[in-house]
Amino acid sequence: MIASSHSADQKVYEIAKLTNEVKELRSAFVDKRGQLMQLKKESFVEAEMKEKGIGISLNPPTKIIVKSQRQEQ
Amino acid sequence: MFVFALAVVFKLVSIQFVQGDKYRALADKRTVKDFDIPANRGNVYSADGSLLATSIPKYDIRIDAIQAKDATFEKYINDLADSLHVYKGKPASYYKNVIRRARKNKNRYFLLARNISYSDYIRMRNFPLLNLGAIKGGLIVEQTTRREHPMGGIAERTIGYERQDEDGNFTRPGIDGAFGVKYLQGTNGKRRKQRIGNGQWKPITDFDQVEPKDGYDVYTTIDVNIQDIAHHSLLKQLEIYQADHGCVVVMDVKTGEIKAISNLGRNKKGHYYERLNYAVGESHEPGSTFKVMALMAALEDKVIDTSTVVDTKKGRKRFYGRDITDSGNGFGEISAARALEVSSNIGLATIIDEHYSKQPEKFLTRLQAWGLNKTLGVAIIGEGKPDIPKPGAVNWSRNALPSMAYGYNLRMTPLQTLAFYNAIANDGELIKPRFLKSVKSFDKDIEVFEKEVLVEKICSNQTLNEIQDILKNVVIRGTGQRMYSETFSMAGKTGTARTDYANAEEWRKDRKYVSSFAGYFPADNPKYSCIVVIHKPSTKVGYYGADVTGPVFKRIAQKIYTDTPIIDEIEELDFNTKLVNEDFESYFVNAQKYKTLMPSVVGMPAMDAIALLENLQIDIKVRLTGSGVVKKQSIAKHQKLQTNQTIILEAS
Repeated sequence: MIASSHSADQKVYEIAKLTNEVKELRSAFVDKRGQLMQLKKESFVEAEMKEKGIGISLNPPTKIIVKSQRQEQ
Repeated sequence: MFVFALAVVFKLVSIQFVQGDKYRALADKRTVKDFDIPANRGNVYSADGSLLATSIPKYDIRIDAIQAKDATFEKYINDLADSLHVYKGKPASYYKNVIRRARKNKNRYFLLARNISYSDYIRMRNFPLLNLGAIKGGLIVEQTTRREHPMGGIAERTIGYERQDEDGNFTRPGIDGAFGVKYLQGTNGKRRKQRIGNGQWKPITDFDQVEPKDGYDVYTTIDVNIQDIAHHSLLKQLEIYQADHGCVVVMDVKTGEIKAISNLGRNKKGHYYERLNYAVGESHEPGSTFKVMALMAALEDKVIDTSTVVDTKKGRKRFYGRDITDSGNGFGEISAARALEVSSNIGLATIIDEHYSKQPEKFLTRLQAWGLNKTLGVAIIGEGKPDIPKPGAVNWSRNALPSMAYGYNLRMTPLQTLAFYNAIANDGELIKPRFLKSVKSFDKDIEVFEKEVLVEKICSNQTLNEIQDILKNVVIRGTGQRMYSETFSMAGKTGTARTDYANAEEWRKDRKYVSSFAGYFPADNPKYSCIVVIHKPSTKVGYYGADVTGPVFKRIAQKIYTDTPIIDEIEELDFNTKLVNEDFESYFVNAQKYKTLMPSVVGMPAMDAIALLENLQIDIKVRLTGSGVVKKQSIAKHQKLQTNQTIILEAS
């Protein structure tokens, strides 16, 4: 009875610890994700690239799709 | 002695039996407690799944300044001050002084950093002294859950939050606010726990008295990339024009999804940030963007057509004892369509006054049929109410009608104006702007939001085509000319409205305008509609709609244009046909077979024949007359060739 009560107590401590760890990891994830989103933003990339003289193109990229033809018999 | 014993026994009995219930309850309360199990608030996502709002732990770092022993404290204080200097910027000596003072004042709860992120917390935890932990170093860490917007200030007001003040009143702006109670919040659970050592509590039963239910995740329609562009181009224009505030909204024409919404206002220091949701909440006199509705009403009622001539005089015309003016010296006699292109106040006022002054209800019924007198009923709390006066209302007069024709004496929010322009782009179908795509619990859809049609068809196709043409021409040759781009098309209407003009004299001293641009792009088969409104630009820099708000609109249109690749389809050149294959095969066989003998090249294309001959193992000269297919060769086939012999080929 006493032993099992103690082991239950231990589990509670363990759970508290793990819950904290989950919170920390989650917070780390959101933190990093936020940073990543800042870095990914076009306005940020534009500002970074300005030094190198690279700007946003005024014309869209052209995509060339090659249609294959069936072999003549 | 006996009396004392009697007193003790009496007290014992009284505590045990008389007050027993009270104390037993008290004892229970100290060791048994009902705990709230907080439900996790749901996240808010953008259309592509980027996080817009989420709850994360934040940390306050404090130090118990007298916990560390003297020797330890002295050993690390300099290093700690150095680390704090690198982290927070103030000189190391400053930190050394304040921490020393805290120690002297026996401060056991000295704040080092407030509300820092997890990665910063990890960094601080490793600072000298603090890395010794709570007992030796005196580190105190407090964790709170806060609502975070990983995208920063972008669309903050629309994404929103929920805040409770001391009196328990909630303020709930934006999506987070509007859907907080219904979806995001969830319900807290309850669990009865018993105190065990170490300040921990142990559940008494192995089930929760009330199970917590986590909040749902809300997926918005916001497109992070368009939002980013909209935010920054609006910010740039506001800064150039030192304007008071402004907003921009981008809407998907076909579905009514709001792809971007940015609201920026200036604070006392002159910085701009998301203050109020102007686009949804602020109804104001729209000015010239409303001329489109006025002209459409007239076209739809067939009281005029686009070529009806209207006399705009020389820029000044009197209506019921009040002058209406146009910019510049007027446009003379122009067509109704041209009047809208050049945004002539007199032109529109004349058309509407001439045809509706005897029956203003007819005009107003038209506006009502388009729902312009009602709110859109968007989800965000605090949508501004439109005001379109009726005869008999306080703000109705003979002048009301001509004023309304060019967007005064009535009020609308930018979002309401946008919804109408979107209907023009969407072939007449008026859709309710919406901010939500779906509500999910993990991967499971709880609720999916579909497009909501407010008016099936606002007007006839003829009127639609006419107005679409005019809006296209506004950018090509009208007031929006300066925005024109050769590479991509836009359609829309500029607006420059006076504001705060109640006191005419005051106004003349310090002229205040609202500049706007509403429209859609591309002009044919529109994909997005967009409205930009900027309030009170500095008139020293400029105030015309095309100059102030046009560039924001153009930048967004351009962004979407440059993001959509031009697709070119070509047919594959490298294909096999029987004839070519046979030719190739026979050439190859000939090239392998003939080394010093003359092959037959008659019937071969000349270029193949020359290549074949010149690649023989013997050096010869080839002369070609004509071109095309070889007809004749000067040396018969299978003859032995001599070095430097000349072969003449005739081709036709």
